[in-house]
Amino acid sequence: MIVFEDVTKIYDPDVVGLQDFTCHIGKGEFVFLVGASGSGKSTLIKLVLKELVPDSGRILVAGRNLGTLRHSKVPLLRRNIGCVFQDFKLLPNKTIFDNVAYALEVVGDPRRSIRRKVPEILSLVGLSEKTNSYPHEISGGEQQRVSVARAFVNHPPLLLADEPTGNIDPETAVGIMQLLVRINRTGTTVVVATHDRDMVNRMRRRVLQLDGGRLVRDEHRGGYDQVADVEELGA
Amino acid sequence: MRLGFFLSEAFGSMRRNWVMAMAAVITVFISTAILGAVLVTRDNLNQGATSLKNRVMIEVFIKDEATDEQVTALEQKIQGIPAIKRYEYISKDEALKRFRERFGERIVANLPINPLPASYEIQVKDANDVDAVAQMFFEEPAVDNDPGTHNGVKYAKETVRKMLGTINLIGYGMWVATIIFALAAILLISTTVRLSIFARRREVEIMRLVGATNWFIRWPFVLEGFITGLIGAVLAAAFVWTSNWALANWLETSDINFLDLKVFSMWWQSGAWPLGLLPTLAILGAVLGAVGSLVALRRYLKT
Repeated sequence: MIVFEDVTKIYDPDVVGLQDFTCHIGKGEFVFLVGASGSGKSTLIKLVLKELVPDSGRILVAGRNLGTLRHSKVPLLRRNIGCVFQDFKLLPNKTIFDNVAYALEVVGDPRRSIRRKVPEILSLVGLSEKTNSYPHEISGGEQQRVSVARAFVNHPPLLLADEPTGNIDPETAVGIMQLLVRINRTGTTVVVATHDRDMVNRMRRRVLQLDGGRLVRDEHRGGYDQVADVEELGA
Repeated sequence: MRLGFFLSEAFGSMRRNWVMAMAAVITVFISTAILGAVLVTRDNLNQGATSLKNRVMIEVFIKDEATDEQVTALEQKIQGIPAIKRYEYISKDEALKRFRERFGERIVANLPINPLPASYEIQVKDANDVDAVAQMFFEEPAVDNDPGTHNGVKYAKETVRKMLGTINLIGYGMWVATIIFALAAILLISTTVRLSIFARRREVEIMRLVGATNWFIRWPFVLEGFITGLIGAVLAAAFVWTSNWALANWLETSDINFLDLKVFSMWWQSGAWPLGLLPTLAILGAVLGAVGSLVALRRYLKT
């Protein structure tokens, strides 16, 4: 689904975003990206969305080479990638319903299909009651669920989440993570960049650890860091 | 293009950001109203200048001793000058009659003979040509010149020169004012649009992340700018027209309307308005709003 080959991205001046990064994420996988702030997690996500262009190396998303993808085709790429962010990125002047519906309007879904799909997905994330609320009227956890609903309403083959639980309390975070797992079960590839140690340790999924823009660990069924594994084995 | 969706997006966002929308409408209103006022004033001054110019007249007096052939030759010459709009022959009797009407019976009653010469009253098409046209008659044999002078041809040389100078100066001044206020209107409107889009740059960013194409993002903003500009400019045109109408009415009833101030049609062609005042200003406002939105969006839509 995602292929990075020797990808390097350096920001001005001389700040390493990603350095000689190579990895392969298969269809239907659930992957955690871990690492300290500035280790390159967000850079990686932005590169997949073609918000950034790498200085060197090759990136393939769903078989398409982003290097040769024309500017005009970038929106098409993004429609096939659901996105969830730490700061939710909801449109403040639109209701919950309209926020989710916007993702469908963008792809040209007919009105009738929008009226069917949006309530469906909102009930899936447990927000049927808040359809007509505005983002500022609901809690952070609820806003994040709206954002997940928007990311998934098109049933994209790939879903990226950048610190999805960074701004919400641990209990609510579990709910969000469960949603992501359910989405993964439908066949969607899910990539989650996170700081949430407990979550990663509990879920035991593939972990890609970044440090200074380099890949330092790629472990299937891994923990947040190797120390955690040692402690767990010792216990 | 999904016009229904884009329109509802545009109206929806104006409703939700109504303070910003109002500010934009008021900005458009004020700047187009000032521009409209300048343009109407310019038209009115042009009108007044034209009416003043039309009153400029050349009088060519004819000697009593002139032969019929000489007078005929003079008249043929007048007919042959394309710069002349119209002319009128005033016979000696006619001149006396006019004099009588003006100064009363008693002065004329005691005259043994009619001392007034016959004349041609000539109006030129363009007041700027008065001098040149007048000079053509200086040496005509039929003209009643005192020896060595050209006093048989009378026209308000100095007055015409000064008047034309003033009118031309005002004309240039109004052009400068028009350009300045048009620029001011463009700048004010585009700044307001830029501000309102700057306030919503995050929205634009989110739309892009969800996979909206640039035109999908642009249309609602462009329509919003168009509607805002249209409302502001139509209000401005209505305001300018009403003020013009009220002022012209007031001047008509007073006796200082020497400039022939008139009310310009709001709808159809009148003088300098190829489309009429209202359509011109409305189109100007709407186009400015739409183009302003397009330009302001450009920096947020770079991929």
